[in-house]
Amino acid sequence: MISESMTKVLCFLEEDDSAGGVDAAAAAGAAALDVSGLAVSLTATESGLEPVACSSDTARSFEDAQFTLGEGPGVNAARTGTVVCVGDLTNERPDRWPLLLRELMGLRVRSVFCFPMALGAIRIGVLSATRHTASRFTPEQMDDSLALAAALTTRYLATMDEVPDHADALDFPESLEHAVIHQATGMVSVQLELPLSQALLRLRAHAYSTGRPITDMAHDIVNRRLRLSPTGDSTPPSLPVKD
Amino acid sequence: MPREQLLSKVFLEVADSLVADFDVLEFLQQFAEHCTELLDVAAAGILLGDEKGHLQLLAASDEHTRLLEVFASQSGQGPCVDCYLSGRPRIHIDLTDPDVTLPWPQFTTGARAIGFTVVNAFPLRLRERVIGALGLFQTQPGHLSDEDVLLAQALADMATIGILQQRTLAHNEVERSQLQYALTSRIILEQVKGILAERWQVSVDEAFNVLRAYARAHNQRLTQLALAITTGTFDTDQIPHTAPSPTL
Repeated sequence: MISESMTKVLCFLEEDDSAGGVDAAAAAGAAALDVSGLAVSLTATESGLEPVACSSDTARSFEDAQFTLGEGPGVNAARTGTVVCVGDLTNERPDRWPLLLRELMGLRVRSVFCFPMALGAIRIGVLSATRHTASRFTPEQMDDSLALAAALTTRYLATMDEVPDHADALDFPESLEHAVIHQATGMVSVQLELPLSQALLRLRAHAYSTGRPITDMAHDIVNRRLRLSPTGDSTPPSLPVKD
Repeated sequence: MPREQLLSKVFLEVADSLVADFDVLEFLQQFAEHCTELLDVAAAGILLGDEKGHLQLLAASDEHTRLLEVFASQSGQGPCVDCYLSGRPRIHIDLTDPDVTLPWPQFTTGARAIGFTVVNAFPLRLRERVIGALGLFQTQPGHLSDEDVLLAQALADMATIGILQQRTLAHNEVERSQLQYALTSRIILEQVKGILAERWQVSVDEAFNVLRAYARAHNQRLTQLALAITTGTFDTDQIPHTAPSPTL
């Protein structure tokens, strides 16, 4: 379950949609998790992972190193969609991340915990926590981190929205957990030749503009009672980018 | 298949989950099917608690979307949630009794709509914690025998082993990571059902059946195949499907 301090961070993220919101959440999240650095990196098409918010210089330089070298636990987490935890980097097989591990001395990072930001096959980035000492995460810290990664995923998915006037739509409904929404996302992605991430946004934008629950709409799409049209504002397929 | 023989098969499949090449969704779907046969119930579902403590469906004995929706409606309410929160089995829940179903109006409506009349829920236990629930749905009145109840709890424990793959039980980090990965895989599978349904112009349920049959026939892991489809690295025209292709 989620700790009290992380619950506060999640509430803050939900209410604050300012540009600095993620930076503030990273700083508060680092304190809640008792880590020396917390970083958010987004997946960019060509260049791999790009840091967008870092709570400390340590976090920043570790993210930069992974970004430059193109390898590291964060890169693995983003690519495989699985959580990657390394309790002690000095015990890691040298061939796992040969370039990064050689830089360790200068980076002052001993343990690292990377959580993919993803909704099924929609992968948008990774949340990474670092500590100066060898350590493990408690079950509560694991849950806290997963919840924070999920909240950031929601936030970035919303800000990727290219349809205007949905600033109030930052939060996904609870019903997003329903299978039918993911099925409809897959169908719309084929119909409109969009990546899954954009198909989901299209689905959501349509739900908001028509004022219908997204689950009802998804049912109509899956049962072929509704088909979204590629409207004039349709954009060429592209991968998620930061705003 | 006689019960003993079927049970041995389940044991073998759980043992298989301890080897490296193992697909948790595939395992659990088959497992849920076995549960329906062993316990003579209409449907079985395996639900996992996420980091916020909400129950999410991981696998069901059949993948009909309406059934999946009933399971999904349990993320916040229903006998499985009660079982998950209390850590105790909830058995012989009579959905036709309004007094019993009072706390779960949404769940009850959905479950009754597809003909379920009795629900049983067993906790997925891991040491002192509960990580999820096994839900068993009946369309006929009648109680599970005492022996069935014991067997159902044993099956729930086996599902836990399959999900967590015993060799890694030492680390909490790994446990939570595996639960998370299983839930992510589930979402990927739903997205892929949609992709295939649209490409082939069939229902999502049909798309899933064809995909699973293909994965089994070609010894491919369902989750990996699904992921390869979402990334475009697997050409879905390789999968034979009977429905006419849409004219392009």
